[in-house]
Amino acid sequence: MKIQYLAVVFIIIMLPISLVFSEYISAQVETVSLQISFDTKLDNATYDAIKAFQINTINNATSDLADSKIRDIEAAANAFYKSIGTSFNMVGYDTESLSNYVPALVFTLYDGFYIHSQFENTLDDETMDNIKPGSTYDGTEGQILGLKPYISYSCRYQSGNIDVTITYSLDNYITVQGIDASGNGINIAGYLISNISNSTENSIRYRDVTIEKEPALTQQLYKNDVRYIYTKINGQRYYKEQGKDDKWFYISNNRVETIEEEFSETENDMAYRYYKEALEFRDALETAGITSLTPDDAVDENGDPLTDAVITNADGEVIYSFMEGPNSNQPIFDYGTSKNNAIELPDSKFNEHRLAVIRYTIEKNLSVALANYNNGTYDFRMPKLSEEDWATIMNNVSLISFLQGISIGGKIYNGYSVINNNKNEEVVTENSIYIIDDPTDSSGHYHRITHKGLNSYLSSYPNAIGMFNIEFERRSIETSANERRYYYPYRQLGCYDCYVLQTGNDTINTDSNIYEYVDSCGNRLAKLYYTALGRERYSMYKIYRTTDFIQQFYNNSP
Amino acid sequence: MGDSLITIIAIVLAAVLMFIFPLMSMSDRTDDISQLTVQTATTEFVDNVRTTGKLTMSDYSAFEQKVYSTGNSFDIEMQLDSLDENPAKKTAQASQTKIGENVYYTIYTSQILGAISSGDLLLKEGDMFSTSVKNTNTTLGQQLKNFFYTVAGNDTYTIAAEHGGYVTANGNN
Repeated sequence: MKIQYLAVVFIIIMLPISLVFSEYISAQVETVSLQISFDTKLDNATYDAIKAFQINTINNATSDLADSKIRDIEAAANAFYKSIGTSFNMVGYDTESLSNYVPALVFTLYDGFYIHSQFENTLDDETMDNIKPGSTYDGTEGQILGLKPYISYSCRYQSGNIDVTITYSLDNYITVQGIDASGNGINIAGYLISNISNSTENSIRYRDVTIEKEPALTQQLYKNDVRYIYTKINGQRYYKEQGKDDKWFYISNNRVETIEEEFSETENDMAYRYYKEALEFRDALETAGITSLTPDDAVDENGDPLTDAVITNADGEVIYSFMEGPNSNQPIFDYGTSKNNAIELPDSKFNEHRLAVIRYTIEKNLSVALANYNNGTYDFRMPKLSEEDWATIMNNVSLISFLQGISIGGKIYNGYSVINNNKNEEVVTENSIYIIDDPTDSSGHYHRITHKGLNSYLSSYPNAIGMFNIEFERRSIETSANERRYYYPYRQLGCYDCYVLQTGNDTINTDSNIYEYVDSCGNRLAKLYYTALGRERYSMYKIYRTTDFIQQFYNNSP
Repeated sequence: MGDSLITIIAIVLAAVLMFIFPLMSMSDRTDDISQLTVQTATTEFVDNVRTTGKLTMSDYSAFEQKVYSTGNSFDIEMQLDSLDENPAKKTAQASQTKIGENVYYTIYTSQILGAISSGDLLLKEGDMFSTSVKNTNTTLGQQLKNFFYTVAGNDTYTIAAEHGGYVTANGNN
């Protein structure tokens, strides 16, 4: 055979093969790039939803109340769908059809979480007939898109007489409900804090720092050069009017509402109350026998031991087991004996158990929700979340979004995104307290606690205070029917060393924690920090407080 | 006779192999690079609008120039969903500036171009802005592909990019 024949035969065979190969490879490349672009879109949409949540909650004075919060969350979910719809529009998906591929949006909050997804509406005609007009119940038959009931980070424990449900939160706040060791009903809530002593009328000691009642705080609204005395009680800020009739007022729905009651104009005792009530809460827990509970006392809703309550990482290794771990028969609420094994430290037995409960609750409910989410097109499954993502979820309020079942060429897309919301009124974390050098000087600065040499820097600022980070966010107020003013409650600027560039910070060792770091900063800084942490945590809205709670702060009785 | 036919076929095949194939893969790569340029430019343009809350003619021209510099002609579509601040458009409860709860009204490319030709277009927090870019000419890569296997239709494009999202800043301050 001539060489030409061979060449022709060779080419005729090789040409189709190489064509097919190049097509196949380009399809694979396309799949990978589509997957990356879908990941980006999902991240963007999740971020937009968090941004909407932040803007809405900061400008909503009642955002921490349950039904107001539901509105904020639904608005954030709408923002998610709107945003993801916009970015997918050109690819041919719209908001409506995309919601079929989103089995769940999980809004993790302070002491529980909401799942926003399509679900089967089981509201029947009989119930529908009895509902008053104007009710928010939806009579649509079949699948509807909305929020499912709130799920708390809670766990039930049985031991001897004790049968309680303990609800955990993103910090060291717990709620205990049920029957205590002596067979009585119990319903208490409070912060778990060790090393509190010497409670007196005006001061209390915490970690060798004396926490006193602070002078009243002042904050700016939209008027320049006017500082209002204010106090934040149960999530609501009350301001003292300057001039006019000097009444106290609060801002609700961006409008000013005047009240008759008066609060203290000289002191703010929120921090003092925080530590004092924590000390009382410790006594209450010990009296009720709750401090003897261990992780293996945990039971499910039927009273059976939680044998399957095991937390594993992505490689299948057991990280925490309720029944068999090394700590499973050690008391959860171990207050410790020294500053180094205090209950509020991140590595305490309580915190390990708390994180395990939070993670177990989310994993269990979410995998059920995802598996039951079926629109007949795709078998929805919960993906394994990475350890870093879990750390994000358990540290702060966040949004987990899932997007599954869209065909991207060679594969079916299955992705999720976790975005942290570090500016919210839901939770005061240890990292959200900043130190203002001079609160009355609007050209002053605020600093992170880890700012190098902050203690000596502050020596020339006698009025320094600690402040919650959302107080530096812009808010809005309606001054008249058609006028909206924006303002910053504290107009200080972020320090360039520790906040903006973040080059002038001390790093906290991995085997240490922020409490030990603060202890090493000297007494004054520690006092500022612990006072602010206590004040802001105590000022937050708490569901268990009754309407009488605010009365103890009244200076007059109207 | 038979020999020369085979020789001719061999020469044709050799020509295809030595010229058309490299050309095809080269033009494919060119399209890939154009795609990357266009995607980057679109993302940059949209993110700039989103984070500044402002759409100016100079930004738009710079963006246009960047995508045209790939040597292709493009169809640029912009869409602005503006948050309707008139209270109670949808429900009696809706707060007027609440993001995610309200009605949006939408303006498209020609209206946006009209607005920015006479001054900056100011956007506000909660608006949504998106842009899509598609090539309208037939690139060399497409021509060569069509030569071998026709995938052409009315709407085929090889270079396309889109980006969009919420505006996070008020344009007028």
